[in-house]
Amino acid sequence: MVEISSDVIRGYNDTMILSILLKEPSYGYEISKQIKTITEEKYIMKETTLYSAFTRMEKNGFIESFVAEKDMEGNGKKRTYYRITEEGRNYYESKCEEWELTKDVVEKFIRS
Amino acid sequence: METIRNYLEAMFANLPNTTEVKKAKAELLNMMEDKYNELINDGLSENSAVGTVISEFGNLDELAEDLGLTKEVEETRVREASINRRFLRNDEVLDYLNVRKASGLMVGVGVMLCILSVCFPILTAFVDFKNAALFSLMGMFLSIGIAIALFVFSGVRNSEWHFLTSVPCQIDMATAAQVREKRKTFKIAYAFMIALGVMLCSICWLPIAVMRSGIFVISIFTMVAAGVFLFIFSSHIMGIYDTLLKLNDSNTISGSYGKENEVEYVSKAATAVMEVYWTTITCVYLIISFITFRWDISWIIWPIAAVLHKILEVALVKED
Repeated sequence: MVEISSDVIRGYNDTMILSILLKEPSYGYEISKQIKTITEEKYIMKETTLYSAFTRMEKNGFIESFVAEKDMEGNGKKRTYYRITEEGRNYYESKCEEWELTKDVVEKFIRS
Repeated sequence: METIRNYLEAMFANLPNTTEVKKAKAELLNMMEDKYNELINDGLSENSAVGTVISEFGNLDELAEDLGLTKEVEETRVREASINRRFLRNDEVLDYLNVRKASGLMVGVGVMLCILSVCFPILTAFVDFKNAALFSLMGMFLSIGIAIALFVFSGVRNSEWHFLTSVPCQIDMATAAQVREKRKTFKIAYAFMIALGVMLCSICWLPIAVMRSGIFVISIFTMVAAGVFLFIFSSHIMGIYDTLLKLNDSNTISGSYGKENEVEYVSKAATAVMEVYWTTITCVYLIISFITFRWDISWIIWPIAAVLHKILEVALVKED
């Protein structure tokens, strides 16, 4: 079975996370679950990758974290939530454009 | 879930003990816990849930890079490789506890016998009987002899554990938690023994004051001896737990094992002072009491020490 090369996808982990945060603020496991579902289990983001992305993007100002005493489903578990910032949105947009371009370029060399 | 927690702890054990690392660990544990619970709800067996969670965890090198810890991780790795920590198994720790407890008992009894040895000459000074002088000498030297034998024997038994203080050692999280639990349970007995010891010492002059007979000097020594035994035995055992909990490198995450919810002091010096505080007070109390022999008032040291301790705590505890 073919597997996604982590080298290739690394540059787009942030994009995936931001795309999920565009809809609503979310927390670690929920995000990883959504990525799994959306990609039809073709890509599973490792916990360490996810957390690394959070710290990196928070440092860059793309996301903000806040602690919620209860999660949105009302379970009494203390969680760190992340929400996207304006810079995060801009970054997301530019990454989308970048991907279009990348895709176009690479596509020209695939079995043509 | 316990397996996952231990796995994560083991991964983090040698990372530097900083707020960032602790936060990362807590957050990762949270994610793993969520995933584990969901897998269990989906009907997976405990084993396969644990397997999935661990296999999808990833690796720490990547994380270290983003936490800005690459240098620290490398440093820890080099340090660990050069000093080669001796890892203590759980049964070794339990063995150590038993040996040291026995030695606390032996040293305590030994010191008690040394104090009691003077009772023999005192007794024969007041009561005369056949061979009194011989009895007094025999009694005194026999008790000192037994005391020395106890000291030597406990020293020999302890010697096989000397490496604990000379070689860097490490214990795992489960063992640390176990020691911590034992320490917590012992704390009540400890407080009781110290209180009883202080009480015995501070009222030791009562019999002689009431009976007004010189022979009751013996009761002073007997009660003080019992009190001193309680001091030595109880602080010895407390010391064993503290030694074990301090084995791990305090610069790494493993150094915080068994110290959850523990108060932190502002500096290393403050921590050192607070650690030896009660032992020092006990020594001061005993020295002053023996020199002045005013057991009837020397107990005042304890309430003063307690107040001072509170003040120091307020001044030295690190605010979060």
